Amino acid sequence: MGERHSGDGLPGRRHAHPGGVLEGPEDADGDAGFEAAVAAVLRPGGVDRTAEERAVAAFRAARDSGALRTRTRRRDDWRPGRRAALPPRITLSVVLASLTLGGVAFAAVGSDGPQKHADGGERRAARPAVSAPRQPDTESAPTTPGARPSRPGHPATARDTLAHCRAYERVGGRGTALDATAWQRLVTAAGGEDEVAAYCAARTTPTHGPGTGSTGGEGKTGESGNNGNSGNSNTGNAGSTGNAGNTGEAGKAGGSGRAGGGAAGKK
Amino acid sequence: MRARDGELGAAVARAQDGDETAFAVAYRIVQPGLLGYLRGLVGEEAEDVAADAWLEIARDLGRFRGDGAGFRGWTATIARHRALDLLRRQRIRPRSTTLEQDVLDLPGPHSTHEQALESLSTERALELVRALPRDQAEAVLLRVVVGLDGPAVARVLGKRPGAVRTAAYRGLKRLARQLGAAGTADAGVTDDGPRTLGESE
Repeated sequence: MGERHSGDGLPGRRHAHPGGVLEGPEDADGDAGFEAAVAAVLRPGGVDRTAEERAVAAFRAARDSGALRTRTRRRDDWRPGRRAALPPRITLSVVLASLTLGGVAFAAVGSDGPQKHADGGERRAARPAVSAPRQPDTESAPTTPGARPSRPGHPATARDTLAHCRAYERVGGRGTALDATAWQRLVTAAGGEDEVAAYCAARTTPTHGPGTGSTGGEGKTGESGNNGNSGNSNTGNAGSTGNAGNTGEAGKAGGSGRAGGGAAGKK
Repeated sequence: MRARDGELGAAVARAQDGDETAFAVAYRIVQPGLLGYLRGLVGEEAEDVAADAWLEIARDLGRFRGDGAGFRGWTATIARHRALDLLRRQRIRPRSTTLEQDVLDLPGPHSTHEQALESLSTERALELVRALPRDQAEAVLLRVVVGLDGPAVARVLGKRPGAVRTAAYRGLKRLARQLGAAGTADAGVTDDGPRTLGESE
């Protein structure tokens, strides 16, 4: 920085780095001497007396005709606070840009909504199957009383319980090593410290084993058939019907729908 | 020039109260920068355009609101509108020919700004400034000659401050480069302007 400002080095450096760093206004004082020299050359030294007298005469005439009491227009207001005011054309483009961006954001929200809804719908169809057998057990003592006791089927609760059980398994039954609150909740949910192992076994097994959970899985198969069909609007709808049904047969229906779609595409 | 903004602001305020001596003080402070700017825009017509601008300034002074720096910006805007009117009427092209531009762009390897500026005449400097693209020339003139700050230059030109800053920077850079070239090119020919042309050697 300092050596760049040395007088004799400046021109050579400029030529050596024509595409160099763009100097900001705070850096421009390095050229202050140059600017002052240009200004000294371009600004006339004196003022033409005749021209000044003409201007003053014009001022006198305007003053005497009451022109000094005229109304201030927007373009006449140069008070410091107003100086940042943008010209109308730029203001308009800023407004248009914000509208455009706002529209993009709105469209993004709009396109995100149904997607999440469909996802949630799938989850809602699958979750009750998982939590259905647990519900009678948790009725007496909710697993997470602090969380949302009014929604026992909420995914977070099931996940919490599973996490607690896995942590319990990992520490090998040494309950004191667990986080105290979580451990207490688990004990409360199981109905006693001795019941925890059995409780957890009941929790963790059905989720992965056969039963209602597998039905949810087949529902998913139906949905994948639906995804494959997304190119054909009508058959795709048929596939989604298959998804809504929670049985494996419905998933098959989705598959047949895809076959139909392929035939239609051929034709 | 910015150092006199306080004095200018006070003079403008008194002029708005009807003091014609104060108006003359404001005129003397503002006119050199305004004339320098107008010379860069319209060349020899600058005095006439400035006179027109001052008629409008005198007529509308009661409308103006702001300080000394604001008055510079306000008067520059009025002068600019007058100059652009003239340019539209006369269809003057502010840029010089491409050939001349190329010659001016040649860098001068052994000269410094100081050397170049010592021998620089007002005519030569104006020629160089007017050879710049219009937006660069105006940004340089408003900032360097009129003494406006970045936001004020942007308001006068109706552009964004960033664009104006870039234009001023590029213009000054190009001017510095051309001054180097002009300094060496003029060294043996026009040391002190046209007057010495016939009697040199």
